[in-house]
Amino acid sequence: MIRNATIALASFALTAAIAQAASDPSQDAVRASVMKLVPNATIDAIEPAPMPGFQQVLMGGHLVYVSNDGRYLMQGGLYDASNKVDLSEQRLGKARTDKLAAVPASQHLVFAPASKPKYKITVFTDLDCGYCRKLHSEIADYNAKGIEVDYLFFPRSGLNTPSYDKAVSVWCAKDRNSAFTAAKTGVEPSPLKCDNPIADQFKLGVDLGVDGTPAVYAPDGTKLGGYLPPNQMLSRLEQIDKAATGG
Amino acid sequence: MRTLLFTVGLIVSAHAAAQTPIETARSALKALGLDVRVDAVQESAVPGFYDVVAGGKVVFVSKNGRYVLNGNAYDLPNQRDVGETSRARMRLAAVNALGDDKKIIFAPENPRHAITVFTDVDCPFCRRFHDQVAAFNAQGIAVNYIFYPLDIHPGADKKAEAVWCAKDRKSAFAAAMGGQDVTLATCPNPIAETTQVAQSTGVIGTPTILAEDGTQVSADIAMVPEKLSAELDRRAALAKARN
Repeated sequence: MIRNATIALASFALTAAIAQAASDPSQDAVRASVMKLVPNATIDAIEPAPMPGFQQVLMGGHLVYVSNDGRYLMQGGLYDASNKVDLSEQRLGKARTDKLAAVPASQHLVFAPASKPKYKITVFTDLDCGYCRKLHSEIADYNAKGIEVDYLFFPRSGLNTPSYDKAVSVWCAKDRNSAFTAAKTGVEPSPLKCDNPIADQFKLGVDLGVDGTPAVYAPDGTKLGGYLPPNQMLSRLEQIDKAATGG
Repeated sequence: MRTLLFTVGLIVSAHAAAQTPIETARSALKALGLDVRVDAVQESAVPGFYDVVAGGKVVFVSKNGRYVLNGNAYDLPNQRDVGETSRARMRLAAVNALGDDKKIIFAPENPRHAITVFTDVDCPFCRRFHDQVAAFNAQGIAVNYIFYPLDIHPGADKKAEAVWCAKDRKSAFAAAMGGQDVTLATCPNPIAETTQVAQSTGVIGTPTILAEDGTQVSADIAMVPEKLSAELDRRAALAKARN
């Protein structure tokens, strides 16, 4: 109980400190409006919006647009008709990339090709989910196509459930990758405990709006959806690459 | 002198090239591949934007035609849904275009207010609403029903048709709303047309209750005759103050 309170207090202080640091007087009206509307909102960023006179407010995977005086709030997809761009999705994609990129490499469970990978995908996975297992059963094939798979755990049943405990056991195994692959074929890992990032990864998934597993993200933060066979995965990645380079 | 002429020339040519608001909205939506009819455009409360009625909904297009917001806008201090004014106008026009001969009307003598109610014989809240129709009438409120049988109520369209085709339409309506079985009957009827009006103006459920100006009244107010009466008075006074 006391421990929970301490953690809550600490995280509150941290949030407050971050909010303080990021505060820009010209955005105070916008911040005040949003906080009035959603008192417990965690605002990730307030920055100038594409259209003049507005700020865009990023919070927990959502984006709203607020007039500089804090009076008008717009919610929905914002499009640039001149350049045919979905500006909201573009910004949210960048937010996802930033969040995914902020995960230290040491916290990924990586299955990489022997030679330099052409693409890296991030996959939120659950040890007990059917399509997650199917995806992993073809891991050699993804790798052979030049795709590195960086796994993050997303036990769908939530924290402190059997799936979660299993993920922790895999993480704490001496040979993490082998334990992972074995668990994906239905082998029960021997129960282990150690410092682990599973809860953080789960929270990140919730934050990004993961609503099922596997949840696959392209390097630019585009959500590719669920399971795709290796050849289709490759062509989707090539498509996105092409679109980004304008070719 | 020459400078002045030159300036005037510039202004004139800029004016010639400028698009009307509706043209601006059309070309912006078209550029995004949205093949929708633009029905109305008006200056938005949101600075720099137009409220655009297109394809049965309201979107926001920046005055320079560059930005399109497909969603909602709110005036926070006044807790107002900015698009509602345009949506109300759109609905009102569609409802008025229907004509009274396509509605079922329960009106007192000399009504003070008239509301439009999109209704479905198999929707529980619609039934509860109609239970009180005498009380609404007693408050001086005329109730104009428009049939909108929902797909989630299989057979409701047939019942609506039966009501419409009954010899005494209003009694048959009251009976159906009271949960009685209606004798199925067919005849020429406006139900497809009224359903189309509902769908094309973004009415998504029943009962949807509209005040005289086409603005929607929330169910928690509209289900209580005294509350509804007071709310309609309030809106009428607001409308009067605006004019």
